[in-house]
Amino acid sequence: MTVVVAHKWAPNPQEATVAPGGTVDLSRAKPAVSEYDPVAIEVGRRLADAWGCELVGVSVGGPEIAAPMARKAALSRGLDRLVVVADERLSGAGATPTAVALAQAVGEVEDVRVVLAGDSSVDEGAHLVPSVLAGLLGWPSLAEVADVTADGGALVVERAQGSGSQVVRVDGPAVLAVAADAAVPRVAGMKDILAAGKKPVVELPLAGELPAQPEVVGRAPVPLAERGRRRIDTTDPDAAARELVAALRADGVL
Amino acid sequence: MDFSLTDEQELLLESLRELLERSCSEEYMKECNEQHRYPEELVEALIESGFGMLGVPEEYGGTPVDTVTLMLVAEEICKQGGPHFVFGQALSIADMVEFGNDEQREQCMAEVMAGKPGFVLGFTEPQAGSDSSAIATTFTRRDGKVYINGHKTFMSNALRAKYMLCLARDAEAAGDAGKKAAFTMWWVPMDSPGVTVEPLSKIGWHMMDTCEVYLENVEIEEKDLVGVEGAGFMQLMANFEVERLLMAASMLGMAECAFGDAARYATQRVQFGRTIGSFQLIQEKITMMKLKIENMRNLVMRTAWKIDNGESVQVDSALAKLYCAQSCNEVIDDAMQILGGIGYTTDARVSRLWLDARVQRIGGGTDEVMIHIAGRTILKDYAV
Repeated sequence: MTVVVAHKWAPNPQEATVAPGGTVDLSRAKPAVSEYDPVAIEVGRRLADAWGCELVGVSVGGPEIAAPMARKAALSRGLDRLVVVADERLSGAGATPTAVALAQAVGEVEDVRVVLAGDSSVDEGAHLVPSVLAGLLGWPSLAEVADVTADGGALVVERAQGSGSQVVRVDGPAVLAVAADAAVPRVAGMKDILAAGKKPVVELPLAGELPAQPEVVGRAPVPLAERGRRRIDTTDPDAAARELVAALRADGVL
Repeated sequence: MDFSLTDEQELLLESLRELLERSCSEEYMKECNEQHRYPEELVEALIESGFGMLGVPEEYGGTPVDTVTLMLVAEEICKQGGPHFVFGQALSIADMVEFGNDEQREQCMAEVMAGKPGFVLGFTEPQAGSDSSAIATTFTRRDGKVYINGHKTFMSNALRAKYMLCLARDAEAAGDAGKKAAFTMWWVPMDSPGVTVEPLSKIGWHMMDTCEVYLENVEIEEKDLVGVEGAGFMQLMANFEVERLLMAASMLGMAECAFGDAARYATQRVQFGRTIGSFQLIQEKITMMKLKIENMRNLVMRTAWKIDNGESVQVDSALAKLYCAQSCNEVIDDAMQILGGIGYTTDARVSRLWLDARVQRIGGGTDEVMIHIAGRTILKDYAV
């Protein structure tokens, strides 16, 4: 039995610059393991420890993902080994080609019980890759996963649904997109970082053709909402609180 | 010359930043400072992630790393607003690792691994600040026991430490001859009868206690001897150079922290219809602050590199400590000037840094002692 975590080597949003017009520039941001993926790795580590099995990372992208830094960064987070598909054709790839390459990498790992992924990638944020990957593998896909526990060989998955939650039991292999707050990822220490350089990495050539992806022909920032500019007189705190609550209710916030 | 960091160093600093983001927020630091509270949660987080034992030999549960890496970590903690004293156990416990017996080492390590100080360093005395050879605390042998008598001052962590590594003079050794050879290190449990601890009230460093410690007929055993009798002074001096460098690295981080706050503020604060950063007087400050920071970094990292390459750093570590202590204070003072009235309030962390930095020109060897150490050695090279 093996637990797999799909992760992305993406620009670090902490180093993004935002132009006055609201355009986000990630071109000079140093890459890192995509912001939400360490949560999936943490959940995967716990699951693998509960089952006493191996935790394998899979990552696909441009040639830069095969660099020692990218490998060590992921492996120091708690993965046992890594499978990467690094190919120029995957640089900036959209959800479908990415999922196709991931499916190839997952196919090379034996006895996969579950594939975990982060909520979304920090640069694209399409929320699509886990679902497309599940479709390609022919496995069920569950998103917004808040918790996963092992029940014998089965998975008990708690996921957000509307304003409530749902608990699902999964007996076969599945792809789970883990919510950003499902776990607090561990901080890698020097021992983990040094060990990461010694963990096995398999680099696979990209097999076959990738599906064509739609071309992005324009981008626009989310328009800023018009501010209400309503002022509440706080001379009487009780009245001010009532007025605030009423205003928030009227706007549908509460 | 290669100034780049290794992958491992970059990853370690990334991890550290992640940890500090979670466990060392500005609000948390402010709270600890106002309440004069040791930042236990931060220290626990550092221990849990292995940072607390960085640089400690593997056989004692640590992860050995080079001096450059230790300095990078010390710098980063302070750069993110953390206090300097939460890191560097590897250096502070080096005396015990090197000279302690198995039992003493075990006791020391148990404390460090629990996030507590391994010991309080019983060195400075009221009459023996810069003149460390004037130490008057004595040890006397009587009826098969050893008795310590004296008064130690400016004892960091004395309220929290379980042990003192106490430097004492042989009460039987008279006269000036062999002064330094009369000093011996002793391992003194702080809960021994005769030990009295009285906290000092300071203007800064509120997160860590600094105390007077009175030792009155404190009875210990022969087994509490640390290292070689009569070699205490030299044993203690062996680690001072790298400890000074650690202080310099922390000061570099403190200066960077203040600089970052001031530079950000200069791009936001509007006066006379323009950001204050657009005024040349502010740009001059920013430029000179940055220059000092770069100089500090070069001194610290080059000295660390020399240590890692087995070179002598007697002059380098004194220069680094001297320059970083003075420049750190200057940079933080300029940062406060840029922040204006806000910088003088406790809401701005620059005010805490301003108070905490001043003592760095005094502790761990004053500016004047650093000049003395460096000056006489530099001139030796030119003596004809």
